[in-house]
Amino acid sequence: MTIELSRRGFCIGTALIGLQTVSSSAFARSEDGTVKLGLVAPMSGPNARYGAFSLRGAQMAAKEINGAGGIGGRKINILAGDSQGTPVEGVSATRRLIDQDQVDFIIGDVSSSVTLAMQPVAEDAGVLLLNAASSNPKITYKAGVGGFKWTYRNYPTDENRALIVLQYAAEKKGFTKYAVLSVDSDYGRAAIEFTKKYLPRFKSQILTEDYYKEGEVDFRSVLSKIRDSGAQAIIMYGNADSTPIVGRQMMEVGIAGKIPLIGNAEFNTEKTIKAAPKALEGAIEAAAWLPAYESEKSKAFVDKFTAEYREAPNNHAYVHWETTHLLAKAIEQAQSIDRDKVRAALSKIHYASAVGEVTFDDHNQARLPMILLEIENGKPAIKGAYSAEIDYPK
Amino acid sequence: MFYTIIEQVVNGIVSGSVYAIVAVGMTMIFGVLRAINFAHGEYYMLGTFGAWFAIEYFDLPYPVAIVIGVVATAVIAVVVGNFVMQRIVGAPAEAGVLATLGVALILQNTVILVFGGSYKFFSGGYIEPVTLFGFTLAEQRILIIIVGLIVFVGLELMVTYSRMGKAMRAVSQNIECCAVVGIDVRNIALWTFILGAGLAALSGVLTAPVNVSVYGGMGELITFKTLPIIIMGGLGNVRGTFVAAMILGIAESLVATYVGLQFRDTVGFATLMLVLMWRPHGLFSAQARF
Repeated sequence: MTIELSRRGFCIGTALIGLQTVSSSAFARSEDGTVKLGLVAPMSGPNARYGAFSLRGAQMAAKEINGAGGIGGRKINILAGDSQGTPVEGVSATRRLIDQDQVDFIIGDVSSSVTLAMQPVAEDAGVLLLNAASSNPKITYKAGVGGFKWTYRNYPTDENRALIVLQYAAEKKGFTKYAVLSVDSDYGRAAIEFTKKYLPRFKSQILTEDYYKEGEVDFRSVLSKIRDSGAQAIIMYGNADSTPIVGRQMMEVGIAGKIPLIGNAEFNTEKTIKAAPKALEGAIEAAAWLPAYESEKSKAFVDKFTAEYREAPNNHAYVHWETTHLLAKAIEQAQSIDRDKVRAALSKIHYASAVGEVTFDDHNQARLPMILLEIENGKPAIKGAYSAEIDYPK
Repeated sequence: MFYTIIEQVVNGIVSGSVYAIVAVGMTMIFGVLRAINFAHGEYYMLGTFGAWFAIEYFDLPYPVAIVIGVVATAVIAVVVGNFVMQRIVGAPAEAGVLATLGVALILQNTVILVFGGSYKFFSGGYIEPVTLFGFTLAEQRILIIIVGLIVFVGLELMVTYSRMGKAMRAVSQNIECCAVVGIDVRNIALWTFILGAGLAALSGVLTAPVNVSVYGGMGELITFKTLPIIIMGGLGNVRGTFVAAMILGIAESLVATYVGLQFRDTVGFATLMLVLMWRPHGLFSAQARF
C-alpha cells in the first residue's frame, strides 16, 4: 500500500515538475530588465571560505556596475548556488539556477572537479558558463574547438603555471637541470607532467624525480640525493604545510641558498620564510593574483574591498570581481543579453584586467599573465607578470 | 658513491632513533597488557603539543618545554591508564584494540577541537647544522641519537636489575603467577603504560624542531610506522625493538635514495609481511612468546 502511494506521489511529482519546467521556459528570460547572473561556489562545507570570498567579489563588482547605471540600463542581479565543493551538489545548484532562477549566465565553480561536472549541464542548456577560479587544464581542453561551446575560463591553468615557472627559470636564471620534489597527489603529479611537456622547449632536463606523501616529515635522504645530483633548482608543486619542513632540512644538508625551490607551495608567506629563511631565499613562485601586486586597478580593488568588508581580499575575491566585470563588458559590447551574441563578444574581447590584457584562445581559455614572485632578502619581490602560449593536445 | 651510502646510513640511524624511542614504549605496553596500543602515536602528538603550548603561550625555553610536554602527557596517561588501560588486563584482545582506537580518536579530536586543525609552527630547539666526520646534521638530531642511546641503556638496566623491571617481565610472562606471589598486576600495568606514553611524548618533543609542523593528526603516521617495528623486534622485546627500528630507518633511507621517496613508506609494511610469513615471532627470538 505504502509503495503504491509513494509511487503515485512520485509520478505526480515528476509530472508537476515537468509541467512547471515547460510552462516556465515559455516565458522569455530576464523579462524584468535585469541581467540574471548565477554564481556557483562552495558556500558551505570545508571550502566555504572560498565561496564567501567569491560571492563578495562578484557582489562588489555588481554593485559597482549597477551604481554606474547598469549595463545599457540593465542591472545585474546575482543569484548564488551552493556547490558545497562537491560535483553532485554543484550540478544540482547549476540545474536550479538554470531551470528555476532562469539565469542567463553562470560564473563558477572554484574547485576543478565541480566545474568539470557543470560543463555538460551548461552545454545542454546553452547557458554561458564562465569559470573564474578552477585550474585543471582539462576544463578548457574540452572547451571551444575541443567540444563545449559554452564554457569559458578566465583563470590560468596548472599547465600555464608550470610553463611560466619553467620559462622564467630557464630564461631569467639560466637553469637547465632540475630535481623534482612534489606532493604525491593529482595536483603534484599533473604539474610535473606539464613541466615535462615543455622541457624540450627550454632544452632542460629532470635529473631526479621524487614525490612525497602528505604528512611526510623526513626529507633528508632525498635532499642529499638532490644535492649530489647536480640539479640547479628543485621543482616543487606541493602542500603549504610541508614547505617549512623541506626548508629546514635543506639547511641541514647544506643546499639552502644554493639550490632554490621553484613552483608553487606557498613559498612567499611570512610563516614559511620565517621557518627557513636561508632555504627559501631565491624561491620562485607563480600566482594568478595577489593583494600586493603593484597596479593601479589592483590597488584600488584591494582598498575598496577592505573598506567594504573589513577584511583583505584573497585570490578568489579578486578573480570573481574581475570576471563579473569582464562579463559585463562582453554584454555591453554585444549590446544585448542574447546569449549567442554575448558569447561571440566574449570570444573577441580585449579586456584590460588588473594584471594585463585578457583575450580568449580557440579553446575559450583566457590568455592570462601570471605574477612571478622571487624571495629576495627574506621578502617576496614581485618580478612582473608573464604569459606563455600553451600547446593543446592534438 | 661510498660516501653517499654512508651518509644515507647516518640519515637512517637518525630516523631509526626516533622510531626506537616511540616503539620501545609500545612494545613494553604490549608485553604487559597484551594489547597493541593504537593510541601510541597520540601520546607522541600530545608531548609535542605540550611543548608547543609552553613555548607559544608562555615563552618558555625549549629544555623546560621538553619537561612540560612529557609531564603533561604523563598526567593524561595516568587518567587514561586508570580508566581504560588497567581494565584491559586479562580482557580479550578485541577489547584492547577497540579501547585504544577509541582513546586515539578522543585524544586526537580533543586536541583539534581545542587548538584547531591547522598546522602549527614549532619554533623551539637547536636547528643549526654542525659538521661531524664530514656529515652535516642539525644539532637536534645529534641530541636525538644521544637521548635514544641513553633511553635504551636505561631501560635495559631497569628491566634487568630493578624491582619494577623484574615485575614487568614477570607480568609479561604469567599474570596468574604474579598475582600468587604478590605482584600488583594492575599497578605494574599502569606504570608501564605511563612510562611508554612518556617515552612517546619525549620522542615527539625531541623531533618537533626538525619536523617543524605540529598538528592534531600527526600521531597516526607514527602509530603505523611503529607497528611493523614492534612486530619485527618481537612483541615485548626491548633490545629487538631497538635493532628493528634501526634496520627500518636505514632501509627507508636507502629506498628513498635509490628507488624514490614515494616508495619509502612501503618498506615498513613489506618488511612486516615478510616477517609475518617467515618469522612471525620476530627477528630475534627463537620461538613465539605469546
